[in-house]
Amino acid sequence: GGEGGGLGSSSIAASIASKTKTKKKHFVAQKVKLFRASDPLLSVLMWGVNHSINELSHIQIPIMLMPDDFKAYSKIKVDNHLFNKENMPSHFKFKEYCPLVFRNLRERFGIDDQEFSNSLTRSAPLNSDAQGRSGARFHTSYDKRYVIKTISSEDVAEMHNILKKYHQFIVECHGNTLLPQFLGMYRLTVDGDETYMIVTRNVFSHRLSVYKKYDLKGSTVAREASDKEKAKELPTYKDNDFINDGQKIYIDGENKKMFLEKLRKDVEFLAQLKLMDYSLLVGIHDVERAEQEEVDSEDNEAEDDGESDGGGVGTPPDSPSNTLDSTKPLSPGEFDPSIDVYAIKSAPRKEVYFMAIIDILQHYDAKKKAAHAAKTVKHGAGAEISTVNPEQYSKRFYDFIATILS
Amino acid sequence: AAAPDGTAVSASKTKTKKKHFIGQKVKLFRASEPILSVFMWGVNHTVNELSNVPVPVMLMPDDFKAYSKIKVDNHLFNKENLPSRFKFKEYCPMVFRNLRERFGIDDQDYQNSLTRSAPLNSDSQGRFGNRFLCSYDHRFVIKTISSEDIAEMHSILKKYHQFIVECHGNTLLPQFLGMYRLTVDGVETYMVVTRNVFSHRLTVHRKYDLKGSTVSREASDKEKAKELPTFKDNDFLNEGQKLQIGDDNKKYFLEKLKRDVEFLATLKIMDYSLLVGIHDVERAEQEEMDVEGAGEEEEYENDGMGGGALTGSFGTPPDSPGNPLNCGGFFGPGEFDPSVDVYAIKSRDGAGKKEVYFMAIIDILTHYDAKKKAAHAAKTVKHGAGAEISTVNPEQYSKRFYEFMSNILS
Repeated sequence: GGEGGGLGSSSIAASIASKTKTKKKHFVAQKVKLFRASDPLLSVLMWGVNHSINELSHIQIPIMLMPDDFKAYSKIKVDNHLFNKENMPSHFKFKEYCPLVFRNLRERFGIDDQEFSNSLTRSAPLNSDAQGRSGARFHTSYDKRYVIKTISSEDVAEMHNILKKYHQFIVECHGNTLLPQFLGMYRLTVDGDETYMIVTRNVFSHRLSVYKKYDLKGSTVAREASDKEKAKELPTYKDNDFINDGQKIYIDGENKKMFLEKLRKDVEFLAQLKLMDYSLLVGIHDVERAEQEEVDSEDNEAEDDGESDGGGVGTPPDSPSNTLDSTKPLSPGEFDPSIDVYAIKSAPRKEVYFMAIIDILQHYDAKKKAAHAAKTVKHGAGAEISTVNPEQYSKRFYDFIATILS
Repeated sequence: AAAPDGTAVSASKTKTKKKHFIGQKVKLFRASEPILSVFMWGVNHTVNELSNVPVPVMLMPDDFKAYSKIKVDNHLFNKENLPSRFKFKEYCPMVFRNLRERFGIDDQDYQNSLTRSAPLNSDSQGRFGNRFLCSYDHRFVIKTISSEDIAEMHSILKKYHQFIVECHGNTLLPQFLGMYRLTVDGVETYMVVTRNVFSHRLTVHRKYDLKGSTVSREASDKEKAKELPTFKDNDFLNEGQKLQIGDDNKKYFLEKLKRDVEFLATLKIMDYSLLVGIHDVERAEQEEMDVEGAGEEEEYENDGMGGGALTGSFGTPPDSPGNPLNCGGFFGPGEFDPSVDVYAIKSRDGAGKKEVYFMAIIDILTHYDAKKKAAHAAKTVKHGAGAEISTVNPEQYSKRFYEFMSNILS
């Protein structure tokens, strides 16, 4: 042997394979990610999160965050021509706000960057029919671990205002809070339209279904689900519905104590920042009801071709391969508290509750300005006529929640 | 936790292994110049993008007109090793991916060679002072080219690709592996990546650039002062240089050469050269002994395989490439892996000296029509420093070239 270059490509590959007995040192087991989605915006989100996490993997994690990190952003503009048109738009922009800050927050909330990326990129996020304030749009990651909320540019500005103090609060409470876990904030530009998105940890379980949902503020005015809302598959009920239904949250003394301690610290923090109009989102999982649903769906699937995970949650056949799901099967009503961090087992009843604070970006001063502009205290569909200030709001909120926990 | 090759792996909270183990090191894209960092970032990015685009059954006409473009604008982020603003464009990504495959180059290996450590400046000078770099592992050459070269590449790309398909990648033509445009500080730089003609391991002691032409084909005094001067046709003949590769090698080599230059002539391309590098086996052994003698006091990370194979007379960094082929076997003096050093030919048994030759065609982007236009513009046939007064056409050039090369091989 010893001649130069006499081999065709396939035999070169074969000769490389046979010559090297050592394994390639860069084995990558992840699937090809096509970023396929029903909406170009979602493809861009998937592409962008994938790109952002890859970029961050090449930046050394600093010992601590610097002031500049809270003003930073990364911006990328893609312009392809006759390339990669199958699943992606040819022209789009993706901006990530304060990448190092959110990476640090993810770490403090116990979320690994690779897993975060996988959840948002392996399969397209799903539309959620949940409606936020003023019709904000929601998606959940395909594995239901994260919620992606479309927000306004004013929300993005407010996030920047509170980010340093929010981060400091998370440091001090060691990530142990009922506040939203902010994990990433982005601006996407597709077809010239800008969309702002924020990713938070799902309050509800990624596995256990919620059959009843409440949005509670401790307020008294117009706190009832509309008929339109009640027609939905999972309506969002409110304070008056809760009271009228005679709904109760049964958790034991220890859980109640821990929960209220966190709640108190959280609402005091929000009051300091002059934030208000937030809610406690409550979701109830009924264990027996879920078992019955699973039996029903298995019966139905006996006639279909469907691969059933048996999870009872309608998970897709190609389910997340996140490690903790596949270690051992969880019994009915059981959960992994490091994933379903808001889950609390009910004491006498066979129920699991998911409770955390949502919608914290409404600032009192912005509210007052808007109220003056509208020449009335009432603004926006579904908002209450509220004459309280953040301090009062927080106290009223806390008292209401404390009362409903028995 | 540490992976078998010593790279750090992020600690795992869970007891089960992460299903997405990536053993590669963190790549900082650190380099002496922003343009090199952007180059590394860009190749890293484009190969990653391609890994998410399924390989098509065959290339389509649009693939030869395609490009990907990306513009980065960071603010107070990632400023340590990269400029905050830059652009990176890749021409015909699908075509070059297909070419890499046909040349037996795995995309991950290609990416690693160009991104794990910064490419190194080469003091080679191409036509008109083009800048050359080579990947840190010496497998690939990166040449800075002009926008006219880019246009010429686009003109020939389909036919070049077809030629590569037909000869199964078995050619002495440059192996074009990627073509890019970088924009840093508002300045655009065009680059093309080719496989290194020379070895990634064995030193070249003498280098020739041969055209088979007779006029002005001698190395200047300035050139001769360099560490590895590029000698030319007249130097070759005057020195009585010989390339003794034996009859079989010669036959095989000339078959390829003939096909290649005929192809170039049909495309009306000319002024290309045969680049010849000679590795002197005994001299290399002596150099290695000298280095080892000097190197005992230094701290070398030595893979423990193949002695001087990684550090020898080549000046490779201690933290040598983790490419499997470097560490896989023990190479004796003058030995090589033909799937990596694809142009290497051993001197025949019974030749005066034990040598290894590296020979391939370079500089194939000069089109006859473009030349004639430039000649008319300059009102003279001679244009540019170092170019010969050439009155031949591509057909004649190819014949003269081939004749010369077949005469110098024995």
